[in-house]
Amino acid sequence: MYKLRPILKPYYDNLEKGKILGMKCADCGDVVWPPLPTCQKCGSTNLDWIDLGTEAVIDEIRFEDSSVAGDYTFRKADEFFVSKEPYCICIGHFPKGTRQFHAALYGVTEANKDQLISQLPITADAEFIQLDGGFKSVGFRVRA
Amino acid sequence: MLKQKFARPVSVIGTSSLPQRTFDDPEYKDLSVYELWAAACNQAMQDAGVKPKDIDKVVYSQMANFVTCGNVMAPVGSLEEWAGLAGKPITHIEQACAGGYLAFNEAVNSVASGKYDIVMCAGIESPKHFNARNQPAYMLQPIQKYDGWWSPGRALFDTAYSRFDGVSDNLLTEEQGKYYIKHYGIDEKTLDDTYNAMAINLRYNASHNPRALARTPYSEIAKKAGYDDVMAYMRSKNNPKITQYIRKSGSVLHNVEAGAIIVCSSDIAKKYQDHPITVIDHAEVSNTQRFPFCFHQMNVDVRDALYGGQDNFNPDDLDLMITTVMTSGEQLDSAEVFGYLPEGEGYKYELDGRTRFDADKPINPHGGDLSFGHGFGCAGINMLSEAIFQMRGTAGTDQVPKPVNDVLVRGMGGGHTTVGILLENQD
Ligand SMILES: [Zn+2]
Repeated sequence: MYKLRPILKPYYDNLEKGKILGMKCADCGDVVWPPLPTCQKCGSTNLDWIDLGTEAVIDEIRFEDSSVAGDYTFRKADEFFVSKEPYCICIGHFPKGTRQFHAALYGVTEANKDQLISQLPITADAEFIQLDGGFKSVGFRVRA
Repeated sequence: MLKQKFARPVSVIGTSSLPQRTFDDPEYKDLSVYELWAAACNQAMQDAGVKPKDIDKVVYSQMANFVTCGNVMAPVGSLEEWAGLAGKPITHIEQACAGGYLAFNEAVNSVASGKYDIVMCAGIESPKHFNARNQPAYMLQPIQKYDGWWSPGRALFDTAYSRFDGVSDNLLTEEQGKYYIKHYGIDEKTLDDTYNAMAINLRYNASHNPRALARTPYSEIAKKAGYDDVMAYMRSKNNPKITQYIRKSGSVLHNVEAGAIIVCSSDIAKKYQDHPITVIDHAEVSNTQRFPFCFHQMNVDVRDALYGGQDNFNPDDLDLMITTVMTSGEQLDSAEVFGYLPEGEGYKYELDGRTRFDADKPINPHGGDLSFGHGFGCAGINMLSEAIFQMRGTAGTDQVPKPVNDVLVRGMGGGHTTVGILLENQD
């Protein structure tokens, strides 16, 4: 029997404590992040919380100058971010994860992007992004 | 001949032909979406030779009715009245810019099931203007004045996670370019030239199509700005990059749209229309953009579902491809994934102008979303209308100059839904 339980609230509550939770399938081992109550690989609902740690491996950097103003359809999604520090997009994965994800990546600039890209994959630390709605989301920051 | 895949065969017998305009255009002065809707539905019924009483069901697509049409939730009853269809079954589909294609598929399924004989799908959308909740529908204001400024790029993402990741909207624009560079080894400059050439090609098509929104060829625009070389203009600050790869010329143009298509059971199609078009099959998938290259993957999944239904299907046999191009990368990726252009080589076709309506591999002869224009939930209806005109040979000055018997219409909406539809002249 499918067990009704909160998913979003524990996830966002834990971000406030500096913890990033995903869910791991007890049947096939697939890890889903952000957490969902159904395994994306095998369809099982037998999933448990897993602490993914606060480091990720960055596999690709997609440099984008977030100061470039585009058509309104494609404006940067930082409208709700309290900090307006520019960021770029990366592809990464958690060491305990089973899939790649997209995330905001801070600390990449025109000046250091070529060097960083040449060093890929690199380890980056979680950046808990404060949103104006009173909660946090997950991005990453390259190490200095 | 392709194998039509429905339990009961379905044919297209009518469509509308309203131009792509905005409410700022003198042609659309004093109008609201209601008049446009009535015009589209009646044009389609006249084209099909049917009366409102003959229509068994309506499928209506609109994405932003709540925002742009006076905060109305689903104006189904009043829309029916405006088209003389009061009392008929009607279904509202909201699936972002995929809605128009899905409305068509739903109409087809409704006939294929045997439940209804003649079904109309129709769409309406006003992306650039809104009607305030305390004023009648013809009183319009620019969308920028909407309280709390509505960004469709934001509205497309859910409030579980993806609206807040700071990532989702950007992927609409960049993924296909990244994919292309990564897999086919072309450099960023060649990709830029390819996207610019694509914009020029699509505008060339639109310059031959009076129904298109933007009709001035880029060569003419470049001259006016003092450039003899159109590509130099396209690479200049006059055509700025709005993301890493996409320039202004490679981003969708929005306009108010209305359109309608009528389908019926193939066995009665000839009674209404001398040139019915057979609906071969459709396929659709939805996904999220949380995972890398999901956009590309949706094309792959739709292709496999659509072509998998045919025996020995050869995409070289397609006479025309019509495909959503929200930004440049989408046209290139979809044309290659669906085998209309050779994988990894499609960029050369754009650079050489071979995708123009009068060349050997025409794509979007009407000008596509970059020049023909785009109206969210109605866009799919008008993309399909163009396919219908081309297949009948009645597209006019942007008619592809060869028999157009097999057409792939591929659509995308919201970054989350991709649709493929195969049409064939079988009669
Ligand atoms: Zn599993």
